[in-house]
Amino acid sequence: MTVEGVLTAIRALFPILLALSSLALLPLIRLWRGRQHDDGAAYATYGVQILLLATSVGAGLAGAGYLSTLKISQITIDPSEPGRLLVLLGGIVFAVIVGAGEGRRAATMGQIALFGIAAIDLALAIPSGIAPIALLLFASLGISGAAASGKDDVGRARAVFRDLRTVSLLLPAVVIAEILRTAISYAAIDASYATPASLAAGTALGVSLVVIVAAGVFPFHHRLIKIFEALPIVGSLLVGVWIPSALALIVMSELSALASSITDPLGGAIVPGILLAGAATLIFGAVSALLHDDIGEIVGFMAVGNAGWLALAAAAALQSPTDTSSRLIVLPGILIISLFGLWLVSVRRRYRTTSISELGGWARHTGAHGIVLMAAIIALAALPPGAVLAARLNLLLLGGNPLIAIFAIVGQIMLIVAAIRLLLVGFTPQSQAVREVETRPLANLITISLIGGALFVAAAAAGWLAVESGGTGPLPPAPSVSPATSFAPGPSGEPSATPSIEPSPSAMNSPEVSPEVSPSGSVEISPAP
Amino acid sequence: MPNLELPLVVLAILAGTLAVTSAGRGAWVAIALLAVTSSALEFSLADPSHIGLILRVSAIGIGLIITVPEGLFEPGALRHDLALRTLIATLRAHPVVVASAAAGLLLGLVPLALPIESSSGALRAAGVALLVVGLPPLLTSRFIEATTRAAVVTLSGTLLLRTSIFGALDPLAALAIGAGFACILLVGGSVASRIANAEEEQ
Repeated sequence: MTVEGVLTAIRALFPILLALSSLALLPLIRLWRGRQHDDGAAYATYGVQILLLATSVGAGLAGAGYLSTLKISQITIDPSEPGRLLVLLGGIVFAVIVGAGEGRRAATMGQIALFGIAAIDLALAIPSGIAPIALLLFASLGISGAAASGKDDVGRARAVFRDLRTVSLLLPAVVIAEILRTAISYAAIDASYATPASLAAGTALGVSLVVIVAAGVFPFHHRLIKIFEALPIVGSLLVGVWIPSALALIVMSELSALASSITDPLGGAIVPGILLAGAATLIFGAVSALLHDDIGEIVGFMAVGNAGWLALAAAAALQSPTDTSSRLIVLPGILIISLFGLWLVSVRRRYRTTSISELGGWARHTGAHGIVLMAAIIALAALPPGAVLAARLNLLLLGGNPLIAIFAIVGQIMLIVAAIRLLLVGFTPQSQAVREVETRPLANLITISLIGGALFVAAAAAGWLAVESGGTGPLPPAPSVSPATSFAPGPSGEPSATPSIEPSPSAMNSPEVSPEVSPSGSVEISPAP
Repeated sequence: MPNLELPLVVLAILAGTLAVTSAGRGAWVAIALLAVTSSALEFSLADPSHIGLILRVSAIGIGLIITVPEGLFEPGALRHDLALRTLIATLRAHPVVVASAAAGLLLGLVPLALPIESSSGALRAAGVALLVVGLPPLLTSRFIEATTRAAVVTLSGTLLLRTSIFGALDPLAALAIGAGFACILLVGGSVASRIANAEEEQ
């Protein structure tokens, strides 16, 4: 391999290389500091923060140009701009969160963040077929498994178990969508089959399901809430927000390409269904955030509200394939929830409680936390009005339904009110739990990085910095139907003018099977009573 | 090699059915057999370099080696659990699953709407049968290890169905899917042991 080839490989695979290097670096740091100074955990945390920031800077420098495109035989890894942008901001966000989280496992969480953002970068660099979606789904499962390790907590284990089931169900949905998409071209020339519009609707449903379930859109919000309840904040943010948003970018590109490829309106009630689910999710997330008193749950419901916007964006991508508003709101959504996550982890770490009733006066006690939450609220409100607010309003216009738009606006306002409620609690008289905690000097590395990081992320989320995500290019069409893989030579891949048999129901409409198969003589473990 | 297709399809469906109906040794051996047979069906002819086959089998192999419970290879117990009589008794105890597998096989053999019409019949039949067998326990089972095995069966079926239409996966997708199989087995095993430990502590 030439020097240029090595440099290209480093540029293309930079995040994954740094993530892999952490596997050797962190044990070495722990060994070095652990033996003599007993501060191995703290130094490992600094090490992983430096790696996260280096990933961020490296991704920014390497960029997504042709110099970073790696070709090995048939494999092409072509980093995308949204992928690199997510790594650039993800490195900073997670470095600050890991710093605020402190503790014995902070370095491990940083390592998980390194692998998470590397998986996102890699997935968005290979937008072909099912590989990127499979990579993100399995990365989500692996991250939730790794984040839940370390202690035998039944709640965490059950959350991971739920994730395992979800991931295993979503991949068949993607493959079925892929098969339906291939059938569209045949249906266009053979009237005896399903119409292109109905096949496109089936394809849209299959791929939208990935975002709807992974992001936690109503009625699949339960998984997201459990993730935020059970997993550490780095794992929650990656599995519940970052990876679903990366999936949303891929899916929206696919939906745009699909909607552009058919001339008739999309069959079924796919678009109204997704719009309704999005508006319902926003309202549900906001009302639940207002009704709950645990800050972990409130941040979880904020993430549910953000999932509502992702659903509205998916519907807009189907309605108006050429409009980029749907992809513009993804990144601000990720950053806003990450800011709330940063606030949550720093408050939880400081006061050792997540109950609002025990957190009275937290903002008066630690002003830095108040600044973080205020930054998050400003980003949530997308103030001052700019590109992000315009993109959100444009999404509602593209939806074309005034009732849905009103519901979404009301939901967003209620989300802001729920966040302001958290801030107001911080200015009430100080509770005992808050009073007992020592005040930290302002000139402290953690406090400075907390304030600086929060302001930077809020500026990016609210659109003050010119940060925008253009989405990945459309996935290339699925391979042509070819019997080449079969053992025996099959018939020609060309569609016949007259089908040999009448179209029959889908293979999935199979005869009923027993709803529950209990293994005989099972000695296995049941996850939930 | 073409004459091996039918035995491999039958073996894969049988292994998938046993993986979701039996417990302990029988189920783990069935999963290993399913991994080998479905990978051979998916990759053998389409991929002359056999990279996909090697990746898939080694990924599932690593996952299984780390996950399988202790004492799995105890010769006496293994012989008893894998005796033909035991296997038949297990299948007879779950007639609905066996009927589902047979129905899935027949359904898959019938050419359905395009583009499935021009796909490989045997691979499609195996894929549909494994999907029909794996999906119900994946959706409803309360047992972690059974759900993990059902997930492997369902994914194997999905990939066989996909291969019957689109051909074998490219190396990168094969790597991602292979890692996914290993991930499912490892995470399933880790969750099961964590809940067992927590229950023991209680």
